[in-house]
Amino acid sequence: MDADELLPLVARGDQKAFEELYGLVSGPVYGLVRRVLRDREQSEEVAQEVLLELWRTAARFDPARGTALAWILTLAHRRAVDRVRSARAAGERERREAERAVRAERTERAVRAERTERTERAERAVRAESPALDQVAEEVGGGPEREETGEGGLEREWVRRCLERLTDLQHQAVTLAYYDGYTYREVARRLSLPLGTVKSRMRDGLTRLRDCMGATA
Amino acid sequence: MRHTGAGLFARIRQYAGGLRIVRTPHSLAVPYALDALDPDETRRFERHLETCPRCTDEVRALAADTVRLASAASVPAPPDLRERILTAVRATEQEAPEPEPEPGADSSARGGRDAPSRARTRRRAGARVLVALAASATALALVAAGILAFALIRADDRLDEERASAREIAHVLAAPDARAADARDARGRGLGVVASRSLRQAVVTASGLGAPSGGRAHQLWEVRAGAPPRSLGLLDGETPVVADDLDARATSLAVTVEPAGGSGRPTTPPVVQLTLESVGFGE
Repeated sequence: MDADELLPLVARGDQKAFEELYGLVSGPVYGLVRRVLRDREQSEEVAQEVLLELWRTAARFDPARGTALAWILTLAHRRAVDRVRSARAAGERERREAERAVRAERTERAVRAERTERTERAERAVRAESPALDQVAEEVGGGPEREETGEGGLEREWVRRCLERLTDLQHQAVTLAYYDGYTYREVARRLSLPLGTVKSRMRDGLTRLRDCMGATA
Repeated sequence: MRHTGAGLFARIRQYAGGLRIVRTPHSLAVPYALDALDPDETRRFERHLETCPRCTDEVRALAADTVRLASAASVPAPPDLRERILTAVRATEQEAPEPEPEPGADSSARGGRDAPSRARTRRRAGARVLVALAASATALALVAAGILAFALIRADDRLDEERASAREIAHVLAAPDARAADARDARGRGLGVVASRSLRQAVVTASGLGAPSGGRAHQLWEVRAGAPPRSLGLLDGETPVVADDLDARATSLAVTVEPAGGSGRPTTPPVVQLTLESVGFGE
């Protein structure tokens, strides 16, 4: 049975169906969450939340609005993105706090010098912090957990190849948003592009991905 | 026909009832599908979706793309996650498919977010226990299902104290190193435990003991070599007990029949006893 058949059973409290569904979706859910959050412990926590929520709220799934897998992965993605954004916001607050303290102590000029340096450092950090997709895939997929084969594995490989065929900007726009959890406004800022351009790079990227996959789905 | 720029704007605005509101949302379908909108924009776009079938179709098509992106990131989940989730699932009530009408008065007074969770807690947990038992899997699942179902029934009837205890129980169950064990004698008297060595806590349930005669009480003990048994409190029927500060060297749990109010030390031989070795204690 596939996720679309299993989810309605789960909604009626069928635990066997949930076990089967777990087998189908735990990899994508955990992988996606891990991709966004990076941190293993946090990812496990969020994946656990998502999978339990899936059980609790299965009755909310409405097949008219899309596939079960899309519903589940959207749930997972939103949770992961929420988590990474609030972590970033907290980091940002801390940075601002520190800056305020510095400003209080130093002369105007010293502050200005400091700020320039910090901006440069931040820019360097941003560049260093967003490794290429393959690198991340390597890092996340590597290790003893990697042993999966079969149909799902093939499709994954296919998607990864197709992603490589996007232009750099399409690739960055899509992956910064989806895999790193940045809003399109943040993506625009990071790539120094106008908002409209970012949106169309995202759209083009997804379209190209769809074409490359043969658009069978 | 000729339009000046301003004239065109006015026409669009007139037609659409506000240029800003209408023009932006359409173009937000892609960032929406990628979860790349900020909360305000998300709300705005979702409102728009309700009145825009074309956008709904588009979002659905885009969801197929993001499913691919998600699947590309798939890695096997840690093996122990499975057991934890399945255990929790057996003990977790589901949201009702439709909101159940509540005879109680307070549901309307609560926020929308809270209302379904109350409805969930109030659903008969008894039926769920049977399902859980019938689905019979690991010891952990069985024990946990019994415990949680009980906690939920109680949370139904009682107030904060019970809820706090349900939370505590859930906390132990969710510990990464939570392990379960249970034992039952030929007469169906048994003890079940879900214990976490890292938390040094255990959730203990007795079953089939019945009420002791003559106003006496069942008392739970932590047993370890070279030390007198330590009381973990009195048992109230099959209500789960959360035992704190367990000793890592504890070898077993035992229940004895004691005078009402309990004893400082066991005065009778144990009615039931359960070794803790398989749950990570007692070395």
